Amino acid sequence: MRILLCCAAGMSTSLLVTKMEKAAEEQGVEAKIWAVSADVVRNHVDNADVLLVGPQVRYMLPQLKKLGQEKGIPVDMINTMHYGTCNGAEVLKFAKQLVTK
Amino acid sequence: MSKFTDVLENKVMPMAGRIAGQRHLQALRDGLILTMPLIIVGSIFLILGFLPIPGYEEFMANTYGDQWLTKLLYPVGATFDIMALIAGFGIAYRLAEKYNVEPLSAGAISVSAFLLATPFEVSFLAEGATAAVMVGGAIPAALMGSKGLFVAMLIAMLSTEIYRYIIQKNIVFKLPDGVPPAVSKSFVALIPGAIVIFVVWILRILVENTDFGSLHNIVGEILGKPLGVLGGSLIGSLVAVFLVQLLWSCGLHGASIVGGVMGPIWLASTDANRLAFQEGAEALPNVFTQQFFDIFVYIGGSGATFALVVMMLLRARSQQMKQLGRLAFGPGLFNINEPITFGMPIVMNPLMIVPFILAPLAIVITTYIAMSTGLVAKPAGIAVPWTMPPIIGGYLATGGKISGALLQLFNFCVTFAIYYPFFRMWDRQKYAEEQGK
Repeated sequence: MRILLCCAAGMSTSLLVTKMEKAAEEQGVEAKIWAVSADVVRNHVDNADVLLVGPQVRYMLPQLKKLGQEKGIPVDMINTMHYGTCNGAEVLKFAKQLVTK
Repeated sequence: MSKFTDVLENKVMPMAGRIAGQRHLQALRDGLILTMPLIIVGSIFLILGFLPIPGYEEFMANTYGDQWLTKLLYPVGATFDIMALIAGFGIAYRLAEKYNVEPLSAGAISVSAFLLATPFEVSFLAEGATAAVMVGGAIPAALMGSKGLFVAMLIAMLSTEIYRYIIQKNIVFKLPDGVPPAVSKSFVALIPGAIVIFVVWILRILVENTDFGSLHNIVGEILGKPLGVLGGSLIGSLVAVFLVQLLWSCGLHGASIVGGVMGPIWLASTDANRLAFQEGAEALPNVFTQQFFDIFVYIGGSGATFALVVMMLLRARSQQMKQLGRLAFGPGLFNINEPITFGMPIVMNPLMIVPFILAPLAIVITTYIAMSTGLVAKPAGIAVPWTMPPIIGGYLATGGKISGALLQLFNFCVTFAIYYPFFRMWDRQKYAEEQGK
């Protein structure tokens, strides 16, 4: 599974990436997870199965959802509490749900 | 209090969303980002040129000759001094992308249009002459930098709007069937390009017949000066910081949204300081530059939350706050505070929103007073990235002045005092919850 995360500068989401990678490893899930800034999402979205958006840039969600529709991948916002506490396992679960839906 | 969060939820948030989602503002912000790596690289050379070590200048002059500084600053001329050129390209590129039209041509056309708006002449004072003369045949370096920034921004928007309109209306060259598709593709930008150039050309000729003389002068008078006053005043800066905090209180990236509007203004004032610093001026012109906010106000991230992180580590009684402190310390050192804003949380939490708004406003005022009275050196126009840890950041941003680092320390104490009572209340509440479980 390829999970793309995005926020304003791709910095705080990169924090979450390491936690999610750890969670994936523990669960034995093979996943490629990476974070980028909102302005370059376009260049990365083709390689992703799902796009997760940081809550602080949720104003871009409509725009990014449209992009997801074009590319045929699910796009959604990360739960704020999971985001704030860097809960890798929960966000990974969320990503899986989105992909299998 | 719930009324307050209601207002945030139902009034502030949708409005902020609309503004932030506005494509021109987004293009502006994303396009300007293109200049940042270059400016940071230029800053490294700038710092090396003005290291505040006694005897440094003599040592450099003895080792590398009298011209050492000029030579060392070559890269500054090709980074800082062409920011308008790069920004114009970047903004046009990002805007075209948002319209789903070919961005590379849009960028190239915008650069060409920007240069067309710029008279190719520089003023030159010959040795022994009393009056400067205008010399043709030279691209004026000054207008390629921050002085040309607003013109570059406007031209990028104008030219890309024309470009995408023509392409979307499908007014393109139709070549005969036998022509390979790749060839006809290369002509797609031809008609929009021609129209953009024609429009800017007419504009320039019209303006040359007025007292302003050039588009750069008009934009400077009408846009640059009022915006400079707005961005350079204490009130303007307090309003900007207040808005950033208010947006973050709703959980939206305030700095990124407000930065779309204020970014170019602060970038221009940063560069004005850089020019003065480079020329060895005693007094730098601006207090409010990008670094004023990034380095001196947002210590630990928007809201100056580093003090809060330290409190969590040292004084928290609840497990939740202790753990959050440990999680947030590393990112906080680099001014990233999403764990705090979303994890504590501050977002939509009426109790914590109070200090979250007050603390940065307070240190805008202390920093302003410290810098405008000359107690602390002003930011020297060195583009220290916003992720620079405190103390080091203040030292570098002022061009290597200890006073910059001390001011950050002082501001840290101010924010500590403001956050502390609120933190205690929240922590106690969490502790009680935990004990009750």
